[in-house]
Amino acid sequence: DATQGTSADCKPCPCPGGATCAVVPRTAEVVCTNCPAGTTGKRCELCDDGFFGDPLGQNSPVRSCRACKCSDNIDTNAVGNCNRETGECLKCIYNTDGFFCDRCKEGFYGNALAASPADKCKPCSCSPLGTVDRQTSCSQVTGQCLCLPNVSQRDCSACEPGFFNLQSGTGCERCNCNPIGSTS
Amino acid sequence: PRPNVHPVPPGTHLLFSQSGRIEHVPLEDYGMNKDQAKAVLHLPEKVIIGVAYDCVDKVVYWTEISSPSISKAGIQGGDPVVVIRSDLESPEGIAIDHLGRTMFWTDSMKDRIEVASLDGSMRRTIIESGLVNPRAIVTDPPNGKLYWADWNREAPKIETAHMDGSGRRVLVKDGISLPNGLTYDSHSSLLCWADAGTQKIECVHPDRGDRRRVMEGIQYPFGMASFGNSIYYTDWRRGAVIAVDRYAGKESEEFQPQKRTKLYGIATAYTQCPSGQNYCAVN
Repeated sequence: DATQGTSADCKPCPCPGGATCAVVPRTAEVVCTNCPAGTTGKRCELCDDGFFGDPLGQNSPVRSCRACKCSDNIDTNAVGNCNRETGECLKCIYNTDGFFCDRCKEGFYGNALAASPADKCKPCSCSPLGTVDRQTSCSQVTGQCLCLPNVSQRDCSACEPGFFNLQSGTGCERCNCNPIGSTS
Repeated sequence: PRPNVHPVPPGTHLLFSQSGRIEHVPLEDYGMNKDQAKAVLHLPEKVIIGVAYDCVDKVVYWTEISSPSISKAGIQGGDPVVVIRSDLESPEGIAIDHLGRTMFWTDSMKDRIEVASLDGSMRRTIIESGLVNPRAIVTDPPNGKLYWADWNREAPKIETAHMDGSGRRVLVKDGISLPNGLTYDSHSSLLCWADAGTQKIECVHPDRGDRRRVMEGIQYPFGMASFGNSIYYTDWRRGAVIAVDRYAGKESEEFQPQKRTKLYGIATAYTQCPSGQNYCAVN
């Protein structure tokens, strides 16, 4: 308030890097209006969209703003790719998931960090008849679905040798062939 | 500048978002009056993406992704009011039907298009299938039409439907890549888009289907608006609002705000609403 006539009327802006500021009339709150490049917020305490960090060290040691770190599994044409403070990835693509888009999302398996999108995460495609509780998820790494008794294959789609009746939905039954008259 | 709501003088102007603020530039006969550019609204903690203008009440509407919501404020002074705050994930494009008094928006994570009254009531989903990265959306109120773009890298497309979501059809799918910006000019009945992949501005006549290139070699467009002979777009790489003469097919002007950060949505704020009757009132 420059009208009081004291030497303390005008105070320096509480903003980093010599940013300008203004006072919100109703609330008397001071807000920075021209934060240093890459930062924003009332006190320039936030990173721009697409970046993360804690430029003033408000909640942690000072971390300058860096581009979202999402294992190359985000699209640069998207907005809001990561949380501006923690860096948590919010828009993973190629069927990836996780804080850094570094693992396959539920129902997919493979290597989320593979170089080519085609090599990243593939659908589990578990066979509903051969999979416990008709689960749609599988081992993140091997892609092995959880098979019912005596059911085999990665996707639980076949009976083990010597077993039959996958259609039962409860696992495969022993063939019980007479060993004398059978070839297997 | 006053940090909250700064009244905008009368006259046509552009409104565009730059992270936590909405800026305005008055439009004069000769182009943008850059000296008079100012922040209309300063919400430092927000990331404002889409901007739309209601010419009846002289209110700006915007989408925001840091605490996903849709808000509004009178541009001649008025506090921001949140109109939609629930069940949003990444609201991006927003468009107003000033005749029907409704707003439409895209959500790129929920992958749907919704409509609600301007106060947020009567909310309804009108498109919920076949969307991957919906972003830009515009209305043609006198004809009751809606246009939107989906920048899905696998199959980008520009679509249209009636305002209730019926009569949906694909307008453009070939020769586009990242159609980030969209604008409809009621005078020429042309729908134009700005593509960050092909780096072109092109237009199509939605009914006749004929397509025309306005300009090539643009950099990285995001939002788009039009007024008279000019098309305006925000550019991520140049950090600027760029004016293009739609008939000459040439850039006519550039405005680069002092603060260097990404620019998002842009809208034209008219002094008077474009003429036209409500489609529903006629039919």
